[in-house]
Amino acid sequence: MAAETISAPFDIYRFRPGIDTKPRYQRYTLDLTPHTPVLTALLKIRAEVDPSLSLRYSCRSAICGSCAMQINSKSRLACETHIGPEVERHGRIVVEPMRNQPVVRDLVVNQSPFWREYDKIEPHLKLDPRHPMPEGKATAMTPAQVDRFKETPRCIACAACYSACPAVEADPGFPGPMALAKLYRFVVDPRDSATQERLTRIQPNGLWLCLRCHLCTEACPKDVRPSERIRDLKEMAVSVQGATELGSRHAVGFKENLKGAGQLNEMKLVRQTMGLTGMIGQIPQGIKVWRKKPEIMKRPRPIEGLDEVEKIYEALDTSSKEPE
Amino acid sequence: MKIAYYPGCVAQASGKELDMATRWVCRNLGIELVEFPNFSCCGSGFVDEANEVLNIAINARNLAIAERAGLDVLTICSTCQGMLTLAKVRMKDPVVRARVDGALRPLGIEYKGTADVKHLLRVLTEDIGLATVKSKVRRPLSGMKVGAFYGCHLLRPADEMQSESAEEPHAFEDLLSTVGATPVDYRGRVMCCGFPIQFVKPSTASGIAGRQILDAKAHGADAMATPCPLCHLSLDAYQNKAAKEVHASLDMPIFHLPQVVGLAMGASPEELGLSRHLVPTDAAIAKVHPSAPA
Repeated sequence: MAAETISAPFDIYRFRPGIDTKPRYQRYTLDLTPHTPVLTALLKIRAEVDPSLSLRYSCRSAICGSCAMQINSKSRLACETHIGPEVERHGRIVVEPMRNQPVVRDLVVNQSPFWREYDKIEPHLKLDPRHPMPEGKATAMTPAQVDRFKETPRCIACAACYSACPAVEADPGFPGPMALAKLYRFVVDPRDSATQERLTRIQPNGLWLCLRCHLCTEACPKDVRPSERIRDLKEMAVSVQGATELGSRHAVGFKENLKGAGQLNEMKLVRQTMGLTGMIGQIPQGIKVWRKKPEIMKRPRPIEGLDEVEKIYEALDTSSKEPE
Repeated sequence: MKIAYYPGCVAQASGKELDMATRWVCRNLGIELVEFPNFSCCGSGFVDEANEVLNIAINARNLAIAERAGLDVLTICSTCQGMLTLAKVRMKDPVVRARVDGALRPLGIEYKGTADVKHLLRVLTEDIGLATVKSKVRRPLSGMKVGAFYGCHLLRPADEMQSESAEEPHAFEDLLSTVGATPVDYRGRVMCCGFPIQFVKPSTASGIAGRQILDAKAHGADAMATPCPLCHLSLDAYQNKAAKEVHASLDMPIFHLPQVVGLAMGASPEELGLSRHLVPTDAAIAKVHPSAPA
């Protein structure tokens, strides 16, 4: 018995840079079964209704990573997004190109920014020349060492995470989730000799701009969990280099701050992160906020049982976690 | 109902109005808030970046305090909710568990993992229920269009937060409709407020906040509402900086979640601490139809 069809209204982004003055949305309504993938619907539109629709795709099986696009504002693979739930939630299916990369035509983007960041992290092993691997053993690792990669080898470089990342959107200098997850993979690789250099080089305007909003982890079709690996990189960066960047100063400063009273001392944290000179720049805004919220100047009362917190710090904040 | 109240640092300091509004709403709904002067800060995600296991241990201690009293924990901050929940999730890893237990046991602290961590949004929509909330509404906010702004850590990572759908949440919108307001649908509602990098790169942080406010505005919002005091700082206290980054005038009133509920239940602006906001809320409140039935 054939599955029942639903009427699925698609609003598809159409734009030819250099020809069209601005993008427009074109409506196509198709009768399809709810489990039809968005990609299948787009190909049907192109084959049967409008051959001028441009999109990128290849395997149709969520392996090649070519068909990432925005479907109802979410960055995902068109081949594994079914139309039923989208129509149910939104009443229509808005299909747009990925964000944070310039549009070439319709749903096709120029992925150069994404790949440029990937190249910058030098995604290849830097073997230590002083310790050459025995013949034929160049890739030998123990299962435990391989486990340290966590989910990062699953990445198919679809750029859905790059499209979803608000730090990339606001700051094109930010490497983006995929490049950082890939960096993690090389940092924890026991055969790589450049761990320290990699961690040092990524910090200014890189690592510490991650907002840990987890939008990348949500967007990733392969569950690579970039935001969690970026967190790991931050802790490793602190342990090899200490608190040298504004970001690491803030993280380490917060940790020290909490130990003081068990509660956050807001003013002290600003000083810990920015230093006394850096604080001066904050004064005009600080005064504006203080007028309405005078408590920002107040020192918190120490919590009861602060000694317990201190003892937890003594037990767990001594050994810095070195990358293996 | 009776619950352990975990106000978090900001609501006890610069975000005092959030604490005021929470207490008002809970009193009105018969939610008994049990206070624990030994709760510590959750680490706000920053301690997690510097030392993950330490952060888990601090929050396991917080959770153990509520467990001893046989209570679940009420949070009023997306970040507190995220950090306490994350500690529960991470404590399921036997290696982490052994290290944390090793630090807590000599202090006579036993973590069992029995206390549930619930944000006020969940308590209102699931435990109290929207029907009960509705029955307490004295001044429906009809005419006011409000963009819910969830805050990352309430939603993501979805599998760990055990939240409703991180991509398509609706609890906040359901609550807004219940108190008579009109929820606004916009992409920014599940986006980031920029707060975590406010000290690392203020221009980028404020640019991110500005984008979300512009998005809400473009979709017709008279105000935004957030369940997170850190989002509130970013969207309200630093809104002037956000406006500068996106080169637009924003003038967007930002409510804390319980302030919206309190307003509809008849609390006065003073009781909700509305005068403590940097962006005045009057214009949004003026949108409420005066003829709205009580």
